[in-house]
Amino acid sequence: MDRGKVIAPHPYLPPPVAAPNTDLLFGRLHAYWRALGVSDPAQIAALSEQALRRAAELPDTLGLDPLARTLLAASELLDDWLAQGSELPRTPQRLAAIRAALLGGVTPDWPKTLFAPPGEGDNLRDTLAEATAEPTPEPMPSAMPAQPIDLFSVLAEIRRLWQKTPGA
Amino acid sequence: MASSASSPMVIGHTLRRAVFFILIAVTTLLALGLLVTVFHTDGLSPIERVLLVLYAILFSWICVSFWTALMGFWVMLTGRDRWAISRHPGTPPDPAAPPPRTAILMPIYNEDSQRVFAGLRAIHQSLADTGQLDGFDFFILSDTRDPEVWVEEELRWQDMVRTLNGKGRIFYRNRPENTSRKTGNLEDFCTRWGARYRYMIVLDADSIMKGETLVEMVRLMERQPRVALIQTPPVPVNRESLFARILQFAGSIYGRMFTAGLNFWQLDESNYWGHNAIIRIQPFLDHCGLPKLPGREPFGGEILSHDFVEAALLRRAGWEVWLAYDLEGSYEEIPPTLIDYAKRDRRWCQGNLQHLRLALSHGFNGLSRIHFIMGVMSYAASPLWLLFLIATGVEAFIQTQRELVYFFGQNWMPVWPVSFAVEMTTVLLVTLTMLFLPKLLALLLLLKDAKLRESYGGMANASWSVVLESVFSVLTAPVLMLFQTKFVLAILMRRAVGWPPQQRGDHMTSFKEAALAHGGHTAIGLVVGGLSYLYVPAFFWWFTPVLLGLALSIPVSMLSSSIALGQAAREWGLFLTPEETNPPAVLRYLAENLQDDDAVLPALRDRPPNHFVQALTDPYVNALHLSLLPERGPPGKRRRHYLEGLIHQLEEEGPDSLSAAQKRDLIAEPETLLRLHALFWSRPPAGAALP
Repeated sequence: MDRGKVIAPHPYLPPPVAAPNTDLLFGRLHAYWRALGVSDPAQIAALSEQALRRAAELPDTLGLDPLARTLLAASELLDDWLAQGSELPRTPQRLAAIRAALLGGVTPDWPKTLFAPPGEGDNLRDTLAEATAEPTPEPMPSAMPAQPIDLFSVLAEIRRLWQKTPGA
Repeated sequence: MASSASSPMVIGHTLRRAVFFILIAVTTLLALGLLVTVFHTDGLSPIERVLLVLYAILFSWICVSFWTALMGFWVMLTGRDRWAISRHPGTPPDPAAPPPRTAILMPIYNEDSQRVFAGLRAIHQSLADTGQLDGFDFFILSDTRDPEVWVEEELRWQDMVRTLNGKGRIFYRNRPENTSRKTGNLEDFCTRWGARYRYMIVLDADSIMKGETLVEMVRLMERQPRVALIQTPPVPVNRESLFARILQFAGSIYGRMFTAGLNFWQLDESNYWGHNAIIRIQPFLDHCGLPKLPGREPFGGEILSHDFVEAALLRRAGWEVWLAYDLEGSYEEIPPTLIDYAKRDRRWCQGNLQHLRLALSHGFNGLSRIHFIMGVMSYAASPLWLLFLIATGVEAFIQTQRELVYFFGQNWMPVWPVSFAVEMTTVLLVTLTMLFLPKLLALLLLLKDAKLRESYGGMANASWSVVLESVFSVLTAPVLMLFQTKFVLAILMRRAVGWPPQQRGDHMTSFKEAALAHGGHTAIGLVVGGLSYLYVPAFFWWFTPVLLGLALSIPVSMLSSSIALGQAAREWGLFLTPEETNPPAVLRYLAENLQDDDAVLPALRDRPPNHFVQALTDPYVNALHLSLLPERGPPGKRRRHYLEGLIHQLEEEGPDSLSAAQKRDLIAEPETLLRLHALFWSRPPAGAALP
């Protein structure tokens, strides 16, 4: 992962580009893939093509500009590969955890393993499963009912005395 | 659950408590008798009646400490308390039963992450040294709201898991809403994961415990199935400032004796101090769900000081609660300056005052009520002392205005006024003895143990330290009295007292900070001193210790916050504690962890200036943070619009334009987090050439 690319400038973001040209699109995708740890230019080009195709299929509900949508598609693409490679249920939290394990450096040259032909990258699944964070154990729900506390009150005491009085 | 202690033990317990309370009553009555003798020569005036009532309350409060200390002295001198929880043989655990699992809980709220995780690592390392690590899991229960601290906690947790190979043993979660504060935080753990464990050991953010102590706590619980909670006495450690080192010394040398004394009369009806304690989870689940109290704050609403109430609820249900006074290896850190100490008091004050209402509630045990009242008195004593001093001043002034009459009726010989100087001096001496004798006794205990004596720097150094600590406590007592009086009054009047957040680490008090906090104290000291010198000069001299403390509060507060003075005092052998002289391994681990702070995670090692931006931009941090967010549905329309607005603000004005709460909202929403990550990477940095 290229950590030099993750420093945010200030002011935070330059204005969005309404109609980005291909150079800009590929440039940003290139930067992102490099930051994720993909260094092979051929792989970057192939992945970028796939991301572009996927971006076109993304629903327009998020209100993202075309460039951001492409980047989101790139991110989802990686999740797809990871879900496929790790054979794990595809919940957003679980996928994010696997992505974190991958980007956390457990497999230094992960693209080589992840994009290896079937059968050659099997140990990646075990490595990722081993490195995936387990923030909490499975819950075992229990009840903790609020306990009644009978607070002292002068009125309640008088009432209690009154009720105790025979004939009251 | 009914206690099934043997009858000699029950009689013994009752006898100890009876003796304790009789001693308090007799001592108070004797002192009161002396004062009545002084006042009663010409009938009791209204102000004298007020003085007597106040004196009775305050003196009995001093008596509680005095007799507790004396009982502790006896226990320490004889070296044993046969009914201490550590000496109960108990019943050996069933070998067929599964080994107990214990959760070590650290509830945190916007704390210094580096210190929190350095401490947890130290505890983990110490526990690993015992070879018993497998029986324990660690939970970092975060209620942190600050997004910067939140993201850092996540990174430090992951770093700790990697370094210590702690997957499946070291857990972290951040609550989306910090409902009911620390109580809610612990309740959330108990209801979600409590059933997985037999015990939980509750820590505070600055708690440190030896591995051996943790193992011993579990062993004690295993052998005592009637016990629901064992509290260990946390010894203050690790601070460098003069103020904190004096308090550490006092807490260490006197604390041993006081906790032994507390255990002597409280036994199985002891109290819970909120941390450094082991709790049996099932009874805690069954009996410690806290209700909201009816009515408005300060006495209604959520129960703030939950620990006393939880202990009382466990006792109400028939479970035993113990103070393991002789269990060493339990530590905490204290506020580094007088002002920070007062800030902590402000937080605790409201919770303790709330206990006044609970003390009179139905169903609690007698001793639980006394714990509640003791909690109230920890703060209510200050306004009462202030009232007492004011009333004494007024009475002294009235006395100076009286003209003496030497010839009555037919007497040709003068009738000299009766002097009560002896009685007054006796009252004063008795009060001072009650206050200072425990310090002397604690010092005397050092004569018994050469090794312990050396760990306090030898008898001469320890004696000097006690003398200087006493002078310091005399100087700071009136300042704390005024602080606490202000807090009590503000709480009763439902007014907020504006305090910035407490700083836990060592730091110096500036003149500005000291002047703001103590300007009023200094003015009161000078004005009251001047008035009493002019109008009641005899009273002035008696009053000088209080006046001096107030008049010098600014320099005392500043000087005592000095780290250089604290370190110099250590060089001179003053205020040494066994933990400073010969630090246990767990404290050495903590120091090493704080000094090295070598993260394995590059995202942490890089020391980024802004963790919020890191969560949006760094693909690893973004993914880790996302993976730790609780699963939730997409935001509603209104929420979506709100977040949309924040995103635009972030884009146009940068992260510094957002408040901490707004930043938290942005990174707490998975969809928004992903979107912002994509947004960042879609824009080339301003002025940067395309790669």
